Amino acid sequence: MDNSSPTSNKKILCIEDEHFIGELYARALTRAGYDVNIVIDGIEGLKEAQTDVYDIILLDIMVPNMTGIEVLKRLRDPTQTPNLRAKIIITTNLEQSEEGRAAIEVQADGYVVKAEITPKQLVEFLNQLNA
Amino acid sequence: MRRQAITTTMVVVFMIQALIIGGWWLGREVYDVSPWLILIVTCVTATITTTVAAFSITDYILEPMRYVWQAILHVTPEHSGTAAPNLENAKLGRELITSMAMQVYQFASLETAGAREDAEHRNAIIQATTIVSHLPLPLFVFNKEQLVTNVSNSALSFCKLTSAELLGKPLFESLNLSFPSHKETLETWIHDCQNSRITDTSYWRQVHAQLKDDNEPRQVDLAAYYNKDNPSGTEFIITLFDRSEEYNKEDQQLDFISIAVHELRTPLTVLRGYIEVFEEEFRGKLSPELTDFMRKMQSSAKTLTSFVNNILNVARIDQNQLVLRLEEESWPDILNHIIDDMRLHALVRGKTIECKIDDNLPNIAADRVSIYEVVSNLIDNAIKYSGDTKEIVVHAGLTQDGFIETTVQDFGVGIPAAILPNLFEKFSRSHRTSTQIGGTGLGLYLSKALVSAHGGNIWVRSKEGEGSVFGFTLQPYSQLAAELKKGNNQDIVRQAHGWIKNHSLYRR
Repeated sequence: MDNSSPTSNKKILCIEDEHFIGELYARALTRAGYDVNIVIDGIEGLKEAQTDVYDIILLDIMVPNMTGIEVLKRLRDPTQTPNLRAKIIITTNLEQSEEGRAAIEVQADGYVVKAEITPKQLVEFLNQLNA
Repeated sequence: MRRQAITTTMVVVFMIQALIIGGWWLGREVYDVSPWLILIVTCVTATITTTVAAFSITDYILEPMRYVWQAILHVTPEHSGTAAPNLENAKLGRELITSMAMQVYQFASLETAGAREDAEHRNAIIQATTIVSHLPLPLFVFNKEQLVTNVSNSALSFCKLTSAELLGKPLFESLNLSFPSHKETLETWIHDCQNSRITDTSYWRQVHAQLKDDNEPRQVDLAAYYNKDNPSGTEFIITLFDRSEEYNKEDQQLDFISIAVHELRTPLTVLRGYIEVFEEEFRGKLSPELTDFMRKMQSSAKTLTSFVNNILNVARIDQNQLVLRLEEESWPDILNHIIDDMRLHALVRGKTIECKIDDNLPNIAADRVSIYEVVSNLIDNAIKYSGDTKEIVVHAGLTQDGFIETTVQDFGVGIPAAILPNLFEKFSRSHRTSTQIGGTGLGLYLSKALVSAHGGNIWVRSKEGEGSVFGFTLQPYSQLAAELKKGNNQDIVRQAHGWIKNHSLYRR
């Protein structure tokens, strides 16, 4: 990927506790021209997301200290996070219950099953989101 | 009767008068008795005769009243020993008396029936209350204001509340229910009923009931009955069937599978990621042999990912939890994409896939991810069972009845006729090939369920030694358009592996 892609300077927060996956995503996204910050903890991820400097937030569901669902809820709660501009994409390998799925559908901007896509395909996915 | 009484009285009076005049005449003219004596005798005779006549006439005239009175006494419970009057003996006004007595009897009978009805009504209330109280199911009765008016004892123990805490209170204050679909809840049903129905019944499965001071929600089936403006005030009746044990067991099975799927997917994600890094970094630098190994690694990781999805989807189908959201799709786009994905899989096993798609196919109604699984399962089977032959042929065209039919053909070992009828059942595999060729016997079972959910059919034609053709049909979108228009959120595919809101589905 060349750095002249339209994704240049877009900032991505990746809340992901699986180090290998974080490493792979950071590599692919950085090469595609994104500026990536990886956080492995739900509470820290929430605080970082609330700084509102990111364009895209990749949010895993099973992260320590606060689940991705809870982080999502707080990011979409205007009293806790007013006017968040980032698009939130759930990245998970966990199959959701009906309630979890309904909550995600209402609150998230996208959803991917990590095992189904390679890092390069994730980049294509995010480019499609920006299009 | 009046005439009869007057006539009788007149005859008696006339006879008395005749007796007095006759006596007077006989005494004076025939026996020449002194007038004083005649007067005395006549007076005495008249007195006696009149007295006797008075008694007789009174008895005679009052006889009907006596009969009627006797009839009244006969039907009065306090005088139950009084015999019924024998109306055949009535001399005066028999018809009238009979009619009056019948009237008396009729009134008495009505009164008895009324009393009996009252008693029956009381019994019915007692019976209904007993049934409600002792029904071994939680039962709630509530009025149009949705205030609880009656409950069974089971309902009290189910809610862990006393009747004082439940009765007269809003139903949803005591019972926190959560329904599988937020569009079809008890509340929306109540609302619909009150707006547009006279009477209705409904049934929900697997409703979560969160109880006071109980951390573990119960899972129940719920039946409800509605009767608009019921005079008794009983507008709604609901019954709960506690199926927590059964549903929890199913949930645990699915939970276990979900956890297993998660644990399998994480290393798969990592494997596929690093393989891709190597593939990118070493592209053009590896020997043909190592390039082949790299592709085989990629293909195997992809196969394992598909298998994991198969397990999950079979569990969902078995527990009736697979929900598809059908959308308008271009079938050539989807099919070409799947085949592109499968080419590597075929290539590393020495097979080629030829794809022929007829022109002008109408758009289909499909769940992109599910239909991906159907085609990839069929192609995977064709690769496995193609034996020494290399070619796999995929064809898509229109059937005579307007459906889109897709076939996957191989020219390999074929399927014995004996097992063809059971081929789409779970774990069904050719006994002859099962030891030689890997597979779980889930792929066709899953494919059939997914095709059926799309409103299509799946079939097989095979001859041993000559290969097999698997085919399935899909509905054109136009056929399902009307149904889809009724729903909302057409942009979201619920059970997809990926979606973007208000955007076309991500293509793997």
